[in-house]
Amino acid sequence: MRDVLTLLRPRFLAMKNRMASGQQRDRMLARLCYGLVGFVFWAGLFALFYRVLKYFKNVEVFGDLLAFKLLAMALIAFFSLLMFSGILTALSKFYLSRDLPLVHSLPVPSEKIFLARWLETSVDSSWMVIAYSLPLFLAYGVVYKAGVLFYTTLFLNILPFCLIATTFSILLVLAFAPILPAGRMRSLSFVLGVLIFLLLLISFRLMRPEKFVNPESFATLLVYFKDMEMANEPCLPTTWFFDSIRAALSGAVGKTFFHTALSWSFCGSLIYLATWVSGPLYLKGLSRTQMVQGKRPGFSVLRRLPWLGPLQWLPGPVRAFALKDIKTFLRDQTQWPQIFLLAALIVLYLYNFSVLPLEKAPAQIVYLQNLFSFLNMGLAAFVLTAVSARFVFPAISIEGGAFWIVKSAPLSAGSYLRIKFFIYFVPLFLLSELLITATNVLLRVTPFMMTLSVTTMLFLSPGVVALALCLGTLYPDFSSENPAQTVTSLGGLIYMTLCSGFIASVIALEAGPVYTIFMVGLRGVSLSMAQWIWLVGSFSAAVILCVMAFAIPMRIAIRSLDEKLGG
Amino acid sequence: MTNVIELKNLTKLYGSLRAVHQLNLTVGEGEIFGFIGPNGAGKTTTIRMMGGVILPTQGEILIDGISMAAEPVEAKMRIGFIPDRPFLYEKLTGMEFLKFTADLFHVEKGLFEEKSEEILKLFSLLDRADELIESYSHGMKQRLIIGAAILHDPRVIIVDEPMVGLDPAGIRLVKDLFRRLAGKGTTLFLSTHSLEVAEDLCHRIGIIHRGSLIATGSIDELRQLARVQESDLEALFLKLTEEEVSS
Repeated sequence: MRDVLTLLRPRFLAMKNRMASGQQRDRMLARLCYGLVGFVFWAGLFALFYRVLKYFKNVEVFGDLLAFKLLAMALIAFFSLLMFSGILTALSKFYLSRDLPLVHSLPVPSEKIFLARWLETSVDSSWMVIAYSLPLFLAYGVVYKAGVLFYTTLFLNILPFCLIATTFSILLVLAFAPILPAGRMRSLSFVLGVLIFLLLLISFRLMRPEKFVNPESFATLLVYFKDMEMANEPCLPTTWFFDSIRAALSGAVGKTFFHTALSWSFCGSLIYLATWVSGPLYLKGLSRTQMVQGKRPGFSVLRRLPWLGPLQWLPGPVRAFALKDIKTFLRDQTQWPQIFLLAALIVLYLYNFSVLPLEKAPAQIVYLQNLFSFLNMGLAAFVLTAVSARFVFPAISIEGGAFWIVKSAPLSAGSYLRIKFFIYFVPLFLLSELLITATNVLLRVTPFMMTLSVTTMLFLSPGVVALALCLGTLYPDFSSENPAQTVTSLGGLIYMTLCSGFIASVIALEAGPVYTIFMVGLRGVSLSMAQWIWLVGSFSAAVILCVMAFAIPMRIAIRSLDEKLGG
Repeated sequence: MTNVIELKNLTKLYGSLRAVHQLNLTVGEGEIFGFIGPNGAGKTTTIRMMGGVILPTQGEILIDGISMAAEPVEAKMRIGFIPDRPFLYEKLTGMEFLKFTADLFHVEKGLFEEKSEEILKLFSLLDRADELIESYSHGMKQRLIIGAAILHDPRVIIVDEPMVGLDPAGIRLVKDLFRRLAGKGTTLFLSTHSLEVAEDLCHRIGIIHRGSLIATGSIDELRQLARVQESDLEALFLKLTEEEVSS
């Protein structure tokens, strides 16, 4: 055990030294802000689950059935998330960490190294799932007025639940590592991991869990009951956790501890098995990942990239950076999962609009359609902000150690930033227009709303991208192993705040005039002169704001980059 | 001999630390100038200022008569810059990196096709040209950077530690290349820890210590300055830097 703790010590010491050095003040401040946002989200989740469970509790006959169905579904979702997170963390900890050559050169038995990494993987992959599952469990505790037995059971079950999921993930990674092509492990595993997650996410959404609160959607009451009472698989860790919680809520002590004991005994056996198989498997897989092979670009479509032909007409330096950025992005397989994730979220986004039960709402359909369309402009702009935060904000940081090439290139800071802007603006603008048009088509909005939405996105997009580029230039991190993570820095936080403020201001400037135009249309009257002046003034202010949100950040970014080129 | 590199009162401060102080230097056309000095003497800072990678706190850099401060793009067009650490775009292939450099320096397509193959062959990288740079060894990356730096036929080549990471064959190759380029009129400014490289390759040597240039000249001129006979560069270097410390 002493060896395991010694192996973990550098992590704690590094954390302690980071905090003591004070160099991370910016990062700490950002973490504090993100912590606050996280807490607000956490509290919101609790409030949501509390309301839902309270509502279920008041539904006669079905109430408890609904509440326990929700719990069973949530546990499966948590387990899937833990597995997904475990696969990615295990890959990084066991096969890709920079300190592996050092650790494996130490006179420590390999099972001790395995156990130290297993512990790290378990903690790193589970803490967030635990943190965000607590609002649900606490809501059950409060609504069902649970006592000490429930909270003790929760504590005793959540630990083996997380450890089982992580150990399963580690076993999967251990089993696949020796057969994956050398040097391709990171990319293939990331892609597979995210594909599994997406499959789960999409299947869960397409199951339409909301139908369980609407018995009318089932053919007969019998079918509904059957669906609700479907027995959980007795050999699944989710079932043991579920049965323990259910028993604890009903005060059945014996049953509670029986199912808890099942979890712990299986958890212990699994860890023993994992430690045992790690002997022959771990080093074999690790040796493969350390092999360097001559690597050619992955797929022929990426190797030739014939669709980049039109870029050949661009001026030399523009073409150089455009091609470099596009090729680097497409060949970095660690980026692909995020593209898949983005695609899946867009599918779900559009799907949610397609199943909106507008016809059941008490308000007029045409009013709701246009209200949703208006709100959707803000939503689409926030999606664009999130995507920009992920892809545009790190655009300067991704140059990394190779930033010397930019500095020594015969290219001004202004030209370089304008190139970067257009590389990212074009696809993101197209994405935002696609989103807004598709959702408006699904909502069957009026031509006025369609024109307004498309025009608003046209004016918002340059500002959103320019702000991301500006803050990314002001807060670059060239030493980061994963530049995508720079968005969690203070700069990323400022960007999200500023951009949200910008979008909210534009939407607010448009809200009043749009409502007036809409109501005037509904009543069949015409606009007064005062209303016309207000309309023109408000829309002009929105346009000026959009122009400023583009021009000012670009100017600041150029000045900042000029200074950075000055070292 | 025309002066291709001119450094006038070049100074760089990092806060209160004086990395380079009042450096005055000229290097002529076709000359190989070696810049040597102990660790932390200011070699890399000077090289980076000359390459336009960092700005000086004070002073002026002229490359082929063009001011780096006033017309950085024009000045950089005349430079081939080779840093000490070969950080590159790992997801590009060797050939794509050369094309990237060619585009930046406006090298025409026909000329690029001819020169890129020649360079890749010269540096024994032709077989690996279509492989991602991330699979290259340190030495291969260094050779690729040197190849990219000479692609646009620069008037000046600025090199920081040119031989780091190269095997003996690579070192000989680079030495021969530098001599050949100098023979054709290219000016080379290189910093090195290897006194053997400086002695073997450079027409003139400058010794920098604590940010100041303490001696310049050919080996013979430096011997006279240090008042030693038949001494090698290592002994000269140690004597001159020790004298500077004691004074």
